[in-house]
Amino acid sequence: MVKILLACSSGMSTSLLVQKMEAEANERGLDAEIWAVAQDKAAEDMKKADVLLIGPQMRFMKKKLSVNAEEAGIPLDVINPVDYGRVNGKAVLDTALELIENNK
Amino acid sequence: MDKFMEVLENVLMPVADKLNNNRYLTALRNGFMVALPLIIFGSIFVVIANLPFLDRVLSEEGYAAYQNALGPASAATLSIMGLFVMIGIGYKMVEGRGGEAIYGGVVALASFLILTPQVVEGVGGVIPTASLGAQGMFLGIFTAFISAELYHFFVRKNLTIKMPEGVPSAVSRSFSALIPITLTLTIFLVIRLVFTFTPFETVQNFIYTIIQQPLTALGSGLPATLVAVLLIQVFWFFGLHGQIIINSVFDPIWYSLNDENLAAFQAGEELPHIVTKQFIDTFIVGIGGSGMTLAVIIAIFVAAKSRQMRELGKLGGPPGLFNVNEPVIFGLPIIMNPLVLIPWLLAPVVVAAVTYFLMSTGFAPKPAGVIVPWTTPPLLSGYLATGNNIMGSVMQLISMSIVFVIWLPFVKLLDKQYYGEELSAQATN
Repeated sequence: MVKILLACSSGMSTSLLVQKMEAEANERGLDAEIWAVAQDKAAEDMKKADVLLIGPQMRFMKKKLSVNAEEAGIPLDVINPVDYGRVNGKAVLDTALELIENNK
Repeated sequence: MDKFMEVLENVLMPVADKLNNNRYLTALRNGFMVALPLIIFGSIFVVIANLPFLDRVLSEEGYAAYQNALGPASAATLSIMGLFVMIGIGYKMVEGRGGEAIYGGVVALASFLILTPQVVEGVGGVIPTASLGAQGMFLGIFTAFISAELYHFFVRKNLTIKMPEGVPSAVSRSFSALIPITLTLTIFLVIRLVFTFTPFETVQNFIYTIIQQPLTALGSGLPATLVAVLLIQVFWFFGLHGQIIINSVFDPIWYSLNDENLAAFQAGEELPHIVTKQFIDTFIVGIGGSGMTLAVIIAIFVAAKSRQMRELGKLGGPPGLFNVNEPVIFGLPIIMNPLVLIPWLLAPVVVAAVTYFLMSTGFAPKPAGVIVPWTTPPLLSGYLATGNNIMGSVMQLISMSIVFVIWLPFVKLLDKQYYGEELSAQATN
């Protein structure tokens, strides 16, 4: 079971991506929990996640959230803007899995 | 050009970082978030209370009784939103510091009430509701900041009463807050007393006259609004969430103006302001998202031949109806794309100026103070935000046409480029 958390300003546009990532995970038969939150919930929800991905428009949050991520012991990164624009669930899922893998 | 972009990005990133991650602005933003469900609840009932044609169907007394019955819904929430915002700020301030958050909320509220005049026209024991809404907004925000900081400062100084072991934890918690709260509230009592010796008489009056009135006067004017709109666009051009960055500074002003319009709307008077929270949220950003990109999607469907553009139109259309437009911003792409810089910056500024003009001439109605959630689809949102006035939707339609016209040549230009690339890619295959 992999748990992937996405965060943006209010969790709206990232939830668009969540749908695509879930579809992709289903197709691969991957047991995954993927959800999106608003930025102020990110620190709390991080405790339940394996990785945090931040919407590129909120990339200025990375520094602050890095502190929380370190405490929770999970990796984080900003989503590639091109993948974000194309709502490319496949590519972003790959990024998430790679981050989790490298963190092991 | 690349060099220039890099320099600008290096300037904007730290600004975005500072504004978004500043402790006070974060608490302010989250404080408004706490109040938002209540504000929307009140707004829904303002809409229901002012449904069209009811005044013609019902008798005059019947309509008045109907409005009176629904009145408390907005009077207890939307009209006194300052109250909930300051509790939210106090709570979030102390929570952010890792303290017991609920005391941050109540200490902010009590400090504010200490500063609030409790006499109306000679009658004692009354708190004017206006001071809990628009008029008290700035005082409430400052009071929440200061009282929460003071409270936390005293807690950290360890000026708490330590209970012996065996005392239930809830009991010792209530005592642990005692000294910090007492000290904090005493300070505010002294502040109140000091102000009775000044010509302002009350702190409320002082903050309102010295800070709130000049700031809201500035914020309600066209120049400051155009600067705010332009800044939102500039931030977004670099892929930074301009709306959330600018909102953290402008929301207190926009919400205060909003509540003043609501009071006038409910009293059946001329609405005092054009620029309010809803002017930005419904008539600028709320037409497809920041940059009003719904019209851009329409332009794509009308004019684009390239597969890439048409795919983007299909992808960006449904969320765009609800003002979520990251697919367009990052997918077209708009960010860092010099080809679309002109329409991206120009369209919302032109629309803001035209909307302001048409509202000031009375062609389009001014926002009535109803808070419409930003995900409400355009046309519907314009109708609701102006107090159930179809001309609000017409105004949005005009704005969409303006954006469409400004963008169309640029959509064609971009499409030609993509189409050419697609053709040559096919040829090489």
